[in-house]
Amino acid sequence: MQEIKKVTVKVPQAYLDFMNQIFEIEKKSANLKEENSIQRNLNKIKVILEEEFFKGSSTIGLTYHNPLGESYSDTRTDCEATISGTGVENLEIIEVIKPIIFYAYQENEKVIKVIVQPAVVIVQSKNSNF
Amino acid sequence: MENTINFGIDLGTTNSAVAKFVKGEVIIYSNPQDYGRNTLPSVVSYKKDKITVGNKAKEFLEKDPKSVVGVFKRKMGTAESFKIKSINESKTPIELSAQVLKELKTFVNTGDTLDAVVITIPASFDTIQSNATKEAGIQAGFKQVVLLQEPIAASLAYANMKKEREMKDGQWLVYDLGGGTFDVALIKIKEGEMKVLDHEGDNFLGGADFDNMIVEKLVIPKILEKYSFSNLEDEMKSATGKFNAKYYVLLRRAEEAKIMLSSKTSAEIVIDGFEDKEGNEVDMEIVITRSEFNELIKPNIDGTIDMIKKIITRNSLKPIDVQFTLMVGGSTYIPYVRSRVEEVLQIPANCEIDPTTAVAIGAAYYAATKPKEITKDDLNKKQTTISIKASYNKASKEKEELFAARITGDITGLSYRILRQDSGYDSGLKKLSDRINEDLPLVDGAYNFFTLVVYDEQNNLIETDIEPIGINSGFGISGQPIPEDICLEVDDYDNPGKTRLELIFQKNSILPLRKQVTFPLNKGMIKGNEDDFIIINIVEGSHLALPQSNKGIGFLKVTGKQIKRDVAKGSDVEITLSITESRDLTISIYLNMADQEFKQTFNPKVRHTPIDFLKDDVLTLSESLELEIQEATAKEDYETAGALNKLKKEMEAVSEETENLTNDDVTDKRYQLEDKKRKIAQEIDSATKNKRIQQVKAHYFEVKEDCLKMLDENGNDHERKTYNDIVAQENAFFATNSPLKIQEKSDEMHSILSKIKWRTPDFLIGIFQWCKNNQTRMNEQTQAKSLIDAGNFAVESQNWERLSEINSGLLNLMPKGAEKEATTRIGFGL
Repeated sequence: MQEIKKVTVKVPQAYLDFMNQIFEIEKKSANLKEENSIQRNLNKIKVILEEEFFKGSSTIGLTYHNPLGESYSDTRTDCEATISGTGVENLEIIEVIKPIIFYAYQENEKVIKVIVQPAVVIVQSKNSNF
Repeated sequence: MENTINFGIDLGTTNSAVAKFVKGEVIIYSNPQDYGRNTLPSVVSYKKDKITVGNKAKEFLEKDPKSVVGVFKRKMGTAESFKIKSINESKTPIELSAQVLKELKTFVNTGDTLDAVVITIPASFDTIQSNATKEAGIQAGFKQVVLLQEPIAASLAYANMKKEREMKDGQWLVYDLGGGTFDVALIKIKEGEMKVLDHEGDNFLGGADFDNMIVEKLVIPKILEKYSFSNLEDEMKSATGKFNAKYYVLLRRAEEAKIMLSSKTSAEIVIDGFEDKEGNEVDMEIVITRSEFNELIKPNIDGTIDMIKKIITRNSLKPIDVQFTLMVGGSTYIPYVRSRVEEVLQIPANCEIDPTTAVAIGAAYYAATKPKEITKDDLNKKQTTISIKASYNKASKEKEELFAARITGDITGLSYRILRQDSGYDSGLKKLSDRINEDLPLVDGAYNFFTLVVYDEQNNLIETDIEPIGINSGFGISGQPIPEDICLEVDDYDNPGKTRLELIFQKNSILPLRKQVTFPLNKGMIKGNEDDFIIINIVEGSHLALPQSNKGIGFLKVTGKQIKRDVAKGSDVEITLSITESRDLTISIYLNMADQEFKQTFNPKVRHTPIDFLKDDVLTLSESLELEIQEATAKEDYETAGALNKLKKEMEAVSEETENLTNDDVTDKRYQLEDKKRKIAQEIDSATKNKRIQQVKAHYFEVKEDCLKMLDENGNDHERKTYNDIVAQENAFFATNSPLKIQEKSDEMHSILSKIKWRTPDFLIGIFQWCKNNQTRMNEQTQAKSLIDAGNFAVESQNWERLSEINSGLLNLMPKGAEKEATTRIGFGL
């Protein structure tokens, strides 16, 4: 059997903290009622982190994914979940404390993404009746 | 084969770990599914078709107790078993422990076969409990299981860390406070033999209790001080409560704060995202100080100290008889735990070993001293091989892709597991049947690799013939490539008044494409003024060619009339280009200062040739043609001059026809003229390319020579390496025949040169002298004077680092225009 090369990437915690803060700002700006263009700056920051942060190579970068609203099961090792409410069937991610952070790089023209931080989420059964 | 056991396992109540002794050192294996963590939660979950062990099982422990079992270690050696509803079976603590041990086997990635192992047990385990642990090891497939008491394992880890072969006779305590349990043991060593003399413990105390206390006793009261709720605590803690999800968020944040308090004196907890009964949005930050936290956990810690006191009294000891208290378990990271135990007992706390892995490490050291007793028959067991034929889409844009496989060979007792390479998906351990189907979740925009692994009943790997499963979820699945480079026209600062092309998408990139670039504006725009404008011109064709020789595919002009406020020179413009699979090009310009966006989509079927822009282009082109002819003639390069003169007639015709076009011309004339212009530009480009290449090459060699000289005199290793890297690429970038590429390398070389110069005394003195001569023009005279005094002193004392800082300060004081003058005159800059 041909083994897949398992890539472990250690990204300094400060970078992850930085990404988590941007995620927090994005969450907060989405709740703002007044018209604003904060999202534009956030998108720009995200592009910088994805394409330009690691100078000298535009093929690697950090991105994050907000899994809010996605369904959850025990096969999802990309999230660390806490189950709230009653019931464990038909779970949905209802709150995201930290997003999934990927480190992307290119190998043989293939974009490979490695998870460097699993998301920290709260999940709840869609069948919960509150 | 190794002669000693070498593998040690900490089979803990809440967490387990595995370590191996290799050539004098112990390595701890990390959990392949848990991002580098070394431990595996000792929790097992059963579903109809699969078994999951560890973190994922732990998540479901509290809410699905009928299918998930944890803390079964406490029941080892009893007749009690756990009813599992999902599979309608009962599992004994031995079977559950065997599952944890089998999962730990998958941590071992060094290709070893785990047939013999040392497993640790609590000091409190009696013979029946010990035998039960041994049985769990046998069920997990180990041929030989040696048991070792946990406090002894921790002590061995300490002794080996200290490199003390023989520890002195004496006694000490091992204080083990983990995530959910507490144990303390008195160890005695006599003539090299370690023994547990006495022990105490609390099966229901650990770090998780502290998190709960932070939320209950500190956070909730503080929320209630500021907001009104009728029954907040119940609404949070009850599974059907309105704020149950928030409670878990707070628990997570409390845990983070607790960890932070180990290194800092205060930590914040942010509470937001819900409303009180009056509709006020809760948004507050609570600061918890270390002393508040210490006060909170004091009763619990004092409880553990009382247990130690009992041991001391029971064994008629005085604190002075005990050498130290060895701290083990994650919760002993808390400084207060360490200091309080030390303060009350007056026995030094020893925190020298890693508290979370000490037991496994000690077990591995012990394993290295135990010979293997495995018969050859055990080893000669035949290895099953099976064949797997897989079928799946190799490219997909779906969120999940179905994977199907047919298995041939003897599959009795085998199970399989599918894992995604980025550790984001784990199917769990499932029974292998002759056909398997799985929905594999894909990460968007990337190449997804999965492995299918097959295990026997004891979780030993079974060889199969399946290749890694690769599914491309990136862009461009069956998408078409673009036939030419797509470029943005930008001002060329090296050739004032001219433009050059910035590559946006390279030829053969796969559609759809999207890219954002940002540039500082090199001119301001006044609101309402039509003469102030910026132009976005997107062309298709080689990015190394002249802009005029490529085909325009998108054009957008923003004038002062369209903007809401004045935009200053130097403020940013963000340009986003996206091309769909059907080749629709969308240009979006965002002016940061005005916070305004302009957007337009261009369809490939319709050409965009604004007449005034075409006229401008034609004019620029005919001027440069004229210049090129003059230059070639002056250099007596008659071949080039001849070729260019031939183009002159054509150029004149195009110029005339373009001039005659009215700005609202509706015929196809403009497109024909644009094509002609492009053709002429391409020809000028090829006729003069050699000249430009020679020029840039000559410039490159000049800079290279200067740079080498500087490097010899003052360069450091890093600069030498950068220089050598550029030189090593010489053949490659010369071969591109692109003046731009060669210029780029000259610039890189030049920046090495500037860096070195900026350190050399002569150069620094030169700049300083220039600044002194221009002092009267500087913006802040007093500051300039004090900087110059400081500079004179730096020169006298030969403090070059200081002089470099002073020079920067002085240059900053120069009026804006002069600054440029200074930098060009002295030969440095960006």
